Amino acid sequence: MSPLKSIYHWLNVRLGVDELVEKRLTGYLLPRSINAWYSLGSVLLVIFGIQVVTGILLLIYYVPDAEKAFKSVTYIMNDVHFGWLIRMCHAVGSNMMVAVLLLHMLSALFMGSHKSPRELNWVTGFILFNLVLGISLTGYLLPWSQLSFWATTVATNSAGAIPVIGQYLVEFLRGGKLVGPHTLGRFFAVHVVLLPLVIGALIGAHLFLLERIGVSTPPFGQKETKSTWQGDEFRHESHPGGIPFFPNYLLQDVTSILIYLAIFFCVVFFSPYIFFPPTAFVPADPFKTPAHIKPEWYFLANYQTLKVFPSELLGLMVQGAAMTFLALIPFIDRGKERHPLKRPLFLACFIGGIILFIGMTIWGHYS
Amino acid sequence: MRQSATNRFCVIACSTLLLLLTILSPAARGQEETVCIQCHGPQPGKGGAPVKAWRGSIHADNGISCHSCHGGDPNDAANAMSPARGFVGTPQEAGIPAFCGRCHAGIMEDYLKSAHGRALGKGGPTCVTCHGAHEVKKANLELINEKSCSRCHPYDRAAGIKEAMRQTEGLITDIERKIERFKGEGVDTERHEKSLFSLRNRYHRLFHEVDTAKVKRESSHIQQELNTINQTLENLDERNRRRKIAGAMVVGGLLVAALIAHLLKRTYDD
Repeated sequence: MSPLKSIYHWLNVRLGVDELVEKRLTGYLLPRSINAWYSLGSVLLVIFGIQVVTGILLLIYYVPDAEKAFKSVTYIMNDVHFGWLIRMCHAVGSNMMVAVLLLHMLSALFMGSHKSPRELNWVTGFILFNLVLGISLTGYLLPWSQLSFWATTVATNSAGAIPVIGQYLVEFLRGGKLVGPHTLGRFFAVHVVLLPLVIGALIGAHLFLLERIGVSTPPFGQKETKSTWQGDEFRHESHPGGIPFFPNYLLQDVTSILIYLAIFFCVVFFSPYIFFPPTAFVPADPFKTPAHIKPEWYFLANYQTLKVFPSELLGLMVQGAAMTFLALIPFIDRGKERHPLKRPLFLACFIGGIILFIGMTIWGHYS
Repeated sequence: MRQSATNRFCVIACSTLLLLLTILSPAARGQEETVCIQCHGPQPGKGGAPVKAWRGSIHADNGISCHSCHGGDPNDAANAMSPARGFVGTPQEAGIPAFCGRCHAGIMEDYLKSAHGRALGKGGPTCVTCHGAHEVKKANLELINEKSCSRCHPYDRAAGIKEAMRQTEGLITDIERKIERFKGEGVDTERHEKSLFSLRNRYHRLFHEVDTAKVKRESSHIQQELNTINQTLENLDERNRRRKIAGAMVVGGLLVAALIAHLLKRTYDD
């Protein structure tokens, strides 16, 4: 027996590697009609990994002090070997993470994957989406630029519209009456410790739920597109006669990840400044408000919504209602039909919702 | 039954939201202005002309308003022009250089040493003769032109000085543009900005110099230093070009790898 085989045998008799490979990889069957959209979850795992690694590398040089933060970021961009690449990957990656997460959620919604018995998968995914928005918002302040300072001022100000507790909430978020060194400290701690831990834990929960209940079958190319789940007992949805996860779908995952990375590096190397207006490279000045300060693209629809309503409270209430509706959609949309073309009301709301989001985003950008 | 109620709720909620978004427009926000502008701005003729001229000026762009030069209280209409609140009004012709020189001290010094300054009060030009009183633009070579200079003397000598300075001006403008671009890309341009600031000041001080040989000599020195900055910026451009080549290779490699993974998947699918 060759030394390599000896090591494998040694491990196999102790860990049951053969059984593990059979159960989790070659014998783990997925629906034959599974499509590329299902691989977005794997793409998101890779993005999260890149964010963690680049974030740790940035932490080596970043100084979370209002006096030194901007200079430390300038140092990273100009003097640290490959610092520009690390920072660009982290900043562009955060935008891409939100975009891919939106696509992942929209594809799940379109294919009815959020329906029973996968309500918990949807809810954990929805919470993850909100946490990713939170980690993006807290990270936005850290460069301590004019853009980050004033965007955070505007964002935290919105909470003040909530009756009774609004002002306390603003002060709690900022660590004072105004955005300042205390805000930077708070956002830094939340960005690098609290939110990554909670996101990591929720990703674990999301994957656990996926593994327990099984992968859903896409409603396309099927005769029967209604869910057959009865709700009487727990049943793992298996796919006898399906394709194995390894090598078939793992190769689809790899293909999607490589295409994502190609797009990601295309932005990083050729056009990273689509995410950086000039104010992103000017140090924060609390006494000089820049004209036309805008939030990140994924908050533009919220920003514009706040502007179109006569009071911020009304704008916040509408947004809160819309988000609650989205969070609870598997409990509201309880029909068994999963094919989008057989759900015209859902399809109209789905397309209308996307158009409304894009329209408000464009309006917010040009307003 | 329950689904139909839910559907009705969705339709009503979406329609209400769309209706509200359509009919409500953002509240207009008024701009805060000083009482000087509030009062003089709408006035026709001589009273409002300075405000109109000032609006497009470099002073307006940099927040230098009426009270910055004329004094007075910009927040109290009743006492806006009260000497007790520091209102100094408009200077006499001989007092114009000192009036502007309160801020532009170095330039006043250069002007007073020049032939123009020495002719102050004897029919010579003051600051406003060339720069205007309220429509002041960022100083540039176009201020030296035949129409303006030949009001007082032949243009030949001024044309010689202008020609000697033209190349320097071009270089400064080019470097300014490059620095602005690099700044917008997160490049640390502080050192270059400081050097350019100092060189631009040296260049601007030549504006009031009428000794052609001195202008040529000094312009040559300034240009040498500007070329050093320009070379550093060109090196940055070259560095960016190399990064893009590396990026193209990375992206190309990833796309090839994606194609191979896709083809491999298809062989397994078959």
